[in-house]
Amino acid sequence: MNQMTLVPPQPAPPPPLPLAFSGDRSEFRALVTRGAALELVTVGFYRFWLATDIRRHLWSNTVIDGDAAEYTGRARELLIGFLIAMAIIVPVYLAYFIAGLEAERFKAFASIPLLLFFYVFGQFAIYRARRYRLTRTVWRGVRFWMAGSGWAYAGLSLLWGLGVIFTLGLLLPWREAALERYKMRHSYYGDLQGSFEGRGWEFFKRGWWLWLLAPFSFYLFPAAPFVYAAYKAVEWRWWLSGIRFGDVRLESTMAKSALIGLYWKVIGWFVLAWFLFAAYLAGGAALIASMHGIPMAMLFKTPALLHSVPLLVLLGIGYLAVILGLNVVMRVYLLRDLWARVLATTTVHGIEAAANVSARGELANALGEGFADGLDVAGF
Amino acid sequence: MNDGSTDHLQEDAPAQPAPGRSAIFFNGESSRRRTVTVMFAYALELREPLNSTVRWQYDDIRRADSPSGVLRLSCLSAPALARLEIRDPALAAEVIAHCPRLDESRPGRGGVAAIVGWSLGAAASIVAMVWFGVPLAADRLTPLVPQSFERRLGDVADGQVKVIFGSKICNNGAGQAAFTKLVNTLRDAAGLDPSVRSAVLATPVPNAFALPGGRVYLFDGLLAKAQNPDEIAGVLGHEFGHLKHRDNTRNLIRNGGTSFLIGLLFGDVTGSGAMIFASRSLVTASYSREAEQSADDFSIEVMHKLGRPTKPMGELLFRVTGKEGDKNLSFLANHPLTEDRLQHMTDADRPAGGPPLLTADEWQALKTICAPAGSGPGKGGSGNASGNSDGGKISGTSGEKI
Repeated sequence: MNQMTLVPPQPAPPPPLPLAFSGDRSEFRALVTRGAALELVTVGFYRFWLATDIRRHLWSNTVIDGDAAEYTGRARELLIGFLIAMAIIVPVYLAYFIAGLEAERFKAFASIPLLLFFYVFGQFAIYRARRYRLTRTVWRGVRFWMAGSGWAYAGLSLLWGLGVIFTLGLLLPWREAALERYKMRHSYYGDLQGSFEGRGWEFFKRGWWLWLLAPFSFYLFPAAPFVYAAYKAVEWRWWLSGIRFGDVRLESTMAKSALIGLYWKVIGWFVLAWFLFAAYLAGGAALIASMHGIPMAMLFKTPALLHSVPLLVLLGIGYLAVILGLNVVMRVYLLRDLWARVLATTTVHGIEAAANVSARGELANALGEGFADGLDVAGF
Repeated sequence: MNDGSTDHLQEDAPAQPAPGRSAIFFNGESSRRRTVTVMFAYALELREPLNSTVRWQYDDIRRADSPSGVLRLSCLSAPALARLEIRDPALAAEVIAHCPRLDESRPGRGGVAAIVGWSLGAAASIVAMVWFGVPLAADRLTPLVPQSFERRLGDVADGQVKVIFGSKICNNGAGQAAFTKLVNTLRDAAGLDPSVRSAVLATPVPNAFALPGGRVYLFDGLLAKAQNPDEIAGVLGHEFGHLKHRDNTRNLIRNGGTSFLIGLLFGDVTGSGAMIFASRSLVTASYSREAEQSADDFSIEVMHKLGRPTKPMGELLFRVTGKEGDKNLSFLANHPLTEDRLQHMTDADRPAGGPPLLTADEWQALKTICAPAGSGPGKGGSGNASGNSDGGKISGTSGEKI
């Protein structure tokens, strides 16, 4: 160790650093199980606290160059953002209703294009929600932050979205590249400005065969999850490899098949859950039938049974249990495991550029998250 | 302040006294990773060679989120993002012992009961609003909605009805004259102004609609199932009841308010769509049954005024739907069960005291209102009785059905 001080400081470029996820899976599972139960008990209001706890877990276990990140957002902020967003969305909905009425008077079902407005509003919300999350992301005592205009982003997204529709999805990679460039250009870590170097063409080159398979996979059930998982893997790899903050750059080596197992596990759990649900219902129906003295053979021919109140109550309870379980499954696999897998295949180059970054940037409010919640376009 | 080029060397510098007492410090102003020596004085002292010592009051120190195995601290009186990271368990334990208010501002356990309590309170308030507030608001607001607005709604619904059921209006001469006579008699008895427009639509569905802004459609399918003018008169009286009560506008306000309030619950919980749908259906069905009940009462009142029996309408409905109690759950239906309506109308029935509403010839003409012009009365009658018997189950428009 002493020897090292004698060597003249020769800043040789350090090797690329792998990202690491140090989170404990059973701890996360307990977190989301408890959260899902509380979400049901609180008729959904717990969602702000659960989302915050999930992010706190994922962020603080994401280790970059030996130091873990931190999420400093609080559920109370999300709740207040949601309440304010509601106060704004209600008049907007009313205005939408009146405008729709005028359009319908002109021609039946002519109000459908007004849905475009909600698309634009949703994109605005997505941008602002990202801004909230980014300003709550801290690493080494310095926060990330974001500038730019949510409406400009929404307009950009609308134009590209129309392009994607008219080209039957072919323009999707270029749309993603353009939107990501806008987002990353306006993202900062302290005084380090972000950028996005991914090109639509590279995305398309890696995944062109997926566009060919996509139309067929809609009709062939077992194919769809494969195609979707491969698409997501290609997208993740392309997206991560394009991210820059100053001279810091990310690189992803995610294989195309990396996510297939994950999606199939989720499908397996879904099938199992609905199978158990069906068995439970059949059992409940048989029980009720035996209490009414109806023979098993007549069970499903009796209309009264299908409208019996106890059976409906059993159905309700079973349904709640199923969605509780599936919410846990989806969060464990599609948030936590996906996050861990993405981090495991990602490396950082040039981290020394982030060794002495000055803190800058203001906190953004949670209004965007509130809009995203109210419009049902939430990310995570 | 600091000599950037020797960053990495300082970390490993031999000058560090007790290695067990070292920790990593980020001062919240730069991302520079500093190795400091932690000293316990009257405050927690973070010493760094070549830099001034940072002091954190024990009372101001709070725990921040960290991966397991790391104690991460912040300080209320330091920059908000300044962090001290301690990886040595012994040192961490010592720091924890020194800081009495470490976990005070952490979001966590104690708050859950409060969250549940407030959520249940909010849910109870939403349910109360849906149950009492929304109907009350709808009753108060409906008279304030101008007729011109309602007519616009009617124009919209009219366009949609015609897209769904076809736009062929039946008006062959004698039939139209009989229909006009029947409608005018009932309209006057109902106390509605002459702006009310009615027509027979050529569709085999056995139903009738009242649209906002004073428009009533009778479907030929219902005419085909009717056996006397009193049956149709009762139905028209029912639809006029909807117009008189402005049920379309009231329902618009009620359903809009209910959907919004129920939509506040659950948010993005996967699978909550079915729960929201179920609870909304229950509530709107209950509103709807109430409106149908009072439209029936209105029809009975009109028929009494005209001295005509009320039971025939009930019989017509029963002919269309059959007994419903076996097939449906009463609390899910958006109309009262047909047998209950028949019972209600039978109870209110009085022997005919007034003159018949239509002559036999006029009735025959009305029955064939949809027959091609020229074909005389008596020829049609059952011509359109292709009657699919799922009356009262069409949906998709904002009209009030029987």
